[in-house]
Amino acid sequence: MRLRSILLAVLPQTTLIFLRGMVPVLLFTLPIASFALVAESTGDFESMASQLNRKGLKAQAPAAIVGKSGVKHEFAFALTPDSGKTKVVVDTELSVGEVDEMKVLKFYVKVFDVGPEKAVLCVCPRLGERAATLAKEYGITVLENDVPRKLIPMAEKVVNEFASG
Amino acid sequence: MIEGKKKIFPVHYAPGKKLFHIIVTLSDAPGSYSSILDLVRKKVNLIGTSTYTRNDGTAIFSGFSEALAPTLTPKELEKLIMSSKAAISAQVSEGKDGILVDTFHTGFVVGDEEYILMRRDGLVHVFDRVSKMLGSGGDALLFEEGVAMGMRNAEMMIKNVGAQRVRDQTMVLNRFLAAQGWGILEARGGPGKDGFTVKVVDCFECSTNGSSRKGCNFMRGYLAGGAKATFGREFDATEAKCRLRGADACEFQLRPS
Repeated sequence: MRLRSILLAVLPQTTLIFLRGMVPVLLFTLPIASFALVAESTGDFESMASQLNRKGLKAQAPAAIVGKSGVKHEFAFALTPDSGKTKVVVDTELSVGEVDEMKVLKFYVKVFDVGPEKAVLCVCPRLGERAATLAKEYGITVLENDVPRKLIPMAEKVVNEFASG
Repeated sequence: MIEGKKKIFPVHYAPGKKLFHIIVTLSDAPGSYSSILDLVRKKVNLIGTSTYTRNDGTAIFSGFSEALAPTLTPKELEKLIMSSKAAISAQVSEGKDGILVDTFHTGFVVGDEEYILMRRDGLVHVFDRVSKMLGSGGDALLFEEGVAMGMRNAEMMIKNVGAQRVRDQTMVLNRFLAAQGWGILEARGGPGKDGFTVKVVDCFECSTNGSSRKGCNFMRGYLAGGAKATFGREFDATEAKCRLRGADACEFQLRPS
């Protein structure tokens, strides 16, 4: 599954290189770097889920959850007890610049359909102003950091606090 | 007869032709329409016509036509039409540069409800963009919009013809969607435990191939919403088959929740 994702991420940029020569090298390297960061985050969410599972909480990373609409949504992480009602969902948005409101909206519509008690969006480096306003309006907990790896313990803390509270 | 798409004429393009849009207000009496047709057929070739009655004892004839003689003018045609006792008023507009646009009508009315006309693939592309921009959330959003519209349309139908008639005549009323170009619905089953299986041939939502969507979430929601309003209970809707997944037609399962 991961190998397929890598191929999908790389192929379009490879085509660009063939078409336009040297210029798109930067375009080629950025998605690869982004993908590496995403893969790293995903890996860490998996560890986080394992730890929480050892504590008796039912965590999944990545998590596929069917919403009220019957549509299946994917999240980087989710806490879903045996009762079936999703408690927490977490997603990541990594960007070179500020993350825009479309990413918040994209997360929110999934959250709306799944209806968890808490929705956490981990953002690197940070949300843009309008995106931040939107996230606040939607009641989304936003975690921001310039270093993607640091978002994992931040998310873990939020999830643990929520689970224990 | 083979069922097919109705041709309507908000616009017509025929380069090199002298085109007219004929609008006649006529008395809503037997023979009025044919008397107008008898007059105009000598001067024009009718491409597409429609007639409808109004609530004031009059009717409207609207016709797109090509002049049989290049010298024919709108005024001559109006004068000819007004020579009929059935005609109350006549208005003939001429096309320009082979383009004829209906400048008389300002929309559509079905029953008491106003309708708009848009290209089928235009709406499908809106759905594509919603799904592309919002991912799986976009698909959920389309489903929710489908539910809302399905419920509202069913409620309007119930208001117009009564709840029992809507329940009894579901199969007949499904043809109303077909007539509007949504797709040809063939429903089996009932509101009981096994629910309905609804096959949709020529479903509008997957009529344009090349979409990143994998199913017809709007239509799925529409059927669930319509069933909810009609039978007063929740239905779970799944799409077992879809043209976007290689099937010949869409097939939905509606089961009581």
